[in-house]
Amino acid sequence: MARAGPRSSGVLDAGARDHLFTAAYDELRRLAASVRRDDPSRTLSPTALVNEAWLKLASSPEFAATSPAHFKRIAARAMRQVLVEAARRRTARKRGGGAPLVTFDEDTLPPEVGSEQVLALDIALEALARLEPRQALIVESRFFGGLDVRETCEILGISEATVLRDWRAARAFLAHELRQTR
Amino acid sequence: MSSGRHVEPASGPARWRLIQDLFHAAADLPASEQHAFLESRTEGDPTLVAEVEALLVEDRTPGSFLDRSLPEVANHLLGPDSPGRVGPYRVLRLLGEGGMGVVYLVEREDVGGRAALKLLRDGWVSPSRRARFLTEQRTLAQLDHPAIAQLHDAGALPDGTPWFAMEYVEGVPLTEYCRARSCSLAERLRLFRAVCEAVQHAHRHAVIHRDLKPSNILVKPDGAVKLLDFGIAKHLDPTGPATDPTRTGLRLMTPAYAAPEQVEGGRLGVQTDVYALGVLLFELLAGRLPFELTGLQPHEAARRVLEQEPPRPSQVAGRPVQASRGAWADLDVLCLTAMQRDPARRYPSVEALIRDLDHHLAGEPLDARPDSLAYRAGKLLRRNARSVLVASAVGLAVLGVTAYAAVRLARARDAVAAEAARTQRIQQFMLQLFEGGTGEVGPSSDVKVVDLVDRGVREAQSLEAEPAVEAELLQTLGGIAQNLGRLDQAGALLARALELRRTAFGPDHPDVARSLVASAQLSSARGDYGEAEKQTREGLAILRRHLSRNDPEVARAVSALGRILENAGRYPDAIRELEEAVRLQTGRPGLEGDLSASLTELANCHFYVGQYAEADALNQKVLALDRRLYGPRHPHIADDLINLGAVQFEGGHYAEAERWNREALEIMTAWYGPDHPETASAQTILARSLLRLERRDEARVLLTSALATQERVYGPVHPRVASTLNELGIVARDQGRLADASANFQRMADIYDQVHHGKHYLIGVALSNLADVEQRRGNSAHAQELFRRVLTVYRDALPADHPLQGVGRVRFGHALLAAGQAADAEAQSRAGYELLMKRKDPQAVWLDMARQDLATAYRTLGRTADADRFQAELTASRAAK
Repeated sequence: MARAGPRSSGVLDAGARDHLFTAAYDELRRLAASVRRDDPSRTLSPTALVNEAWLKLASSPEFAATSPAHFKRIAARAMRQVLVEAARRRTARKRGGGAPLVTFDEDTLPPEVGSEQVLALDIALEALARLEPRQALIVESRFFGGLDVRETCEILGISEATVLRDWRAARAFLAHELRQTR
Repeated sequence: MSSGRHVEPASGPARWRLIQDLFHAAADLPASEQHAFLESRTEGDPTLVAEVEALLVEDRTPGSFLDRSLPEVANHLLGPDSPGRVGPYRVLRLLGEGGMGVVYLVEREDVGGRAALKLLRDGWVSPSRRARFLTEQRTLAQLDHPAIAQLHDAGALPDGTPWFAMEYVEGVPLTEYCRARSCSLAERLRLFRAVCEAVQHAHRHAVIHRDLKPSNILVKPDGAVKLLDFGIAKHLDPTGPATDPTRTGLRLMTPAYAAPEQVEGGRLGVQTDVYALGVLLFELLAGRLPFELTGLQPHEAARRVLEQEPPRPSQVAGRPVQASRGAWADLDVLCLTAMQRDPARRYPSVEALIRDLDHHLAGEPLDARPDSLAYRAGKLLRRNARSVLVASAVGLAVLGVTAYAAVRLARARDAVAAEAARTQRIQQFMLQLFEGGTGEVGPSSDVKVVDLVDRGVREAQSLEAEPAVEAELLQTLGGIAQNLGRLDQAGALLARALELRRTAFGPDHPDVARSLVASAQLSSARGDYGEAEKQTREGLAILRRHLSRNDPEVARAVSALGRILENAGRYPDAIRELEEAVRLQTGRPGLEGDLSASLTELANCHFYVGQYAEADALNQKVLALDRRLYGPRHPHIADDLINLGAVQFEGGHYAEAERWNREALEIMTAWYGPDHPETASAQTILARSLLRLERRDEARVLLTSALATQERVYGPVHPRVASTLNELGIVARDQGRLADASANFQRMADIYDQVHHGKHYLIGVALSNLADVEQRRGNSAHAQELFRRVLTVYRDALPADHPLQGVGRVRFGHALLAAGQAADAEAQSRAGYELLMKRKDPQAVWLDMARQDLATAYRTLGRTADADRFQAELTASRAAK
């Protein structure tokens, strides 16, 4: 069980974690759809979505004992899954539909390339997790969940310097991996 | 600057730590010094140096994907994916997104003209949302009124996403229009009346809008009114209570316009629309909504609608219209009568509302009185409501068939090829509704699908349409009837369609060919394989004469021929045809769906001849293809998983089969819901695997549920019901409930007998199961009589080398042995054994049964050598497992 208090570094038990994950996952998907529905021109940032999801779920009594950082960490995993699924669907459609190949300039990523990059990132993150699980977690939480350095320290119980070091190396690793799949 | 060559990722955590240490040590050195530093620290290990340098390069390179682009990518990914073209339409831009789908502005490339194209683009579609979308398509298909946005076209994308194109309306929401132009009372009432007439038209066609609100009512610059967006489906998520705030996403209702019975989730009717019209009138008269709902949570808003009395429009401050006291008295009554909380106290119909409005405009007294109860009208209404209310969206589809014919008739002079393609698309789309749509009928439907087909047939014949059109309709209805298992009716319809086409076009015409192929499918379903093959070959020949050899239709006909040969058990011939079809369909963009179907049948053929490895390989191909085509959670994937499970099942790998089957069931349940026939099929198949794993109680639960669904949807006499009864019979038999088992198998046999008129091998299968149980119950004579009948059925219905010929004899022999008739048993078992041994990969379970029985029989008959031989074979066979 999570210990009460925002600075707890307690680990949620598996059941609570699963529940939180499912709630976060459902909420993120719902949010993603509803945000687009309400305002088609609005740009979605995953971290913004996670924040919104947190605001909604935080008021629910079952998550009262969860700190924002904890939530975001798990929501980050959920967000990653949401994006990966969307990317898979996108690439599946492309292959079936016979859409014409479009040239693009390096600065703007058209959806096809973006989907492939997300999928590649997913795979690369898995590879990183096999080498150093904590690093993969840091990347996932920061990238998909928007955790800042302080929050990351808090949930992992490590120093800022460690977080920064880990991030730097992980970033280089992943960037290299992604480059290989272009 | 790229790193040039590919470097393998660090292989193992320890090495990765080492790499990181080096990385961090070197990272802050000037770039020119890094290489030397690394060389010294690694004792010149080139791989290690290369790996660290690759990272250092990335570290120096700013602006990678990770730093910058994810929000944009996420935006693209999570937002709608704008297709370039859909059907004959080119996408111009996104118009907006509703709760149901995405709307694009599109243009017809060939004939010009714009339309609004609505697409359910969300892969996360739940059964409820998909149902809503389909409902909208159907309602629009059959409403033809100047004030209702017209349906132009409908179809599906290659991945199955439905779309429809409707009239593009450029206009402003009604309330906005009135406000911006400061419309007078007279003008507002004119517009309101036009809206009412449109709604009334829809009601006459038994369609309720259910979501009337200003944003769905546009006014064009010329002052004409257009209604859009027919259709919140009846199938709001029943598990989500109205007061659960986290479920607002699913409650796709606008609280301000929702009638109390909508809010409560009660039964809807024409008065639901009357209520919404009342609210609309209120807004037009008073300049604001009757209830103040801003800032409230949906459940609080709902409570307010249910409990509060609305004020009188005349009492609202800052009203935008002027009128005399007398006029206001009338308008108050009009408005508030429409908005009565109790539906029975409202205007009983929109017609009544229009009538009173006309009374007011003419200066006559109203029918409604401020406090009138109108209970008598209410009573009348409840009786009528049951016939007026369209509970089944499928009913609309059939009505739509008629309307579609009307459209077709009106445009009969339009001979443009594009037109033909369009009507064919609509027809295809209607058919698809039935393929997936029978589940939407559901337990609460007032009108049964089967009755609607009958009605459709009557209407089609009374249309006095030109023969070609009537033929199309009958063909469509025939296909639907076939899907419903009404093979006789389907046969009659298809035969008539063929006849009409022959008369209209002569015997050598592609449409005639198409009818032939369709009739062949039906003949095949009825077990008349000879006729089916003849018709398909004839149709194929015609198509080959008229179409190019690469035409997809030719390939489809070849595939159909293959399927029929497969059903007839002529597997080598079937394989030849299907391989040809596959050849024609491979590598052709747009034909992936056809290819998938052909590959599936080819896989099944290999399966039936026992070539399980080939079957498995082909099924894997199909699965991969379908996953690309349809996404991972589509019902076609479930079908593929079931086929893969079948291969495992036949190989005796029941645990693996269970895994495939369970995954398939999950997909079906998620897509269709728990009470849908497809889910029922998947339940039955999973149950089979569970039975082999001896998890009988689990299997029984699944089968009982499946049976209930199938009986409800298909009626008590349907092949699928029979199939499920078979499984239940097996469970009952294995659990020792022999009387139940008997009853199930008997019913199964009766159904097949009725459906196939005594001539189909499945009757034999049912009877042999029944006979087996009867034998166990000790009714040997009856059992043997049944087995004799089984052999007759097989002889008449199947080719001589069909596996079941052998299996039937083996089972007969088994029963004879159990009855102590060793000599007779030997004759049958031996005959069965010989037949089975001729096959390339015979099924061990029956062979072993034969061997066991023969060993016993021969021992009883004193033929020791023969007995030993079969005993030895049996031992060897068991050891090989």
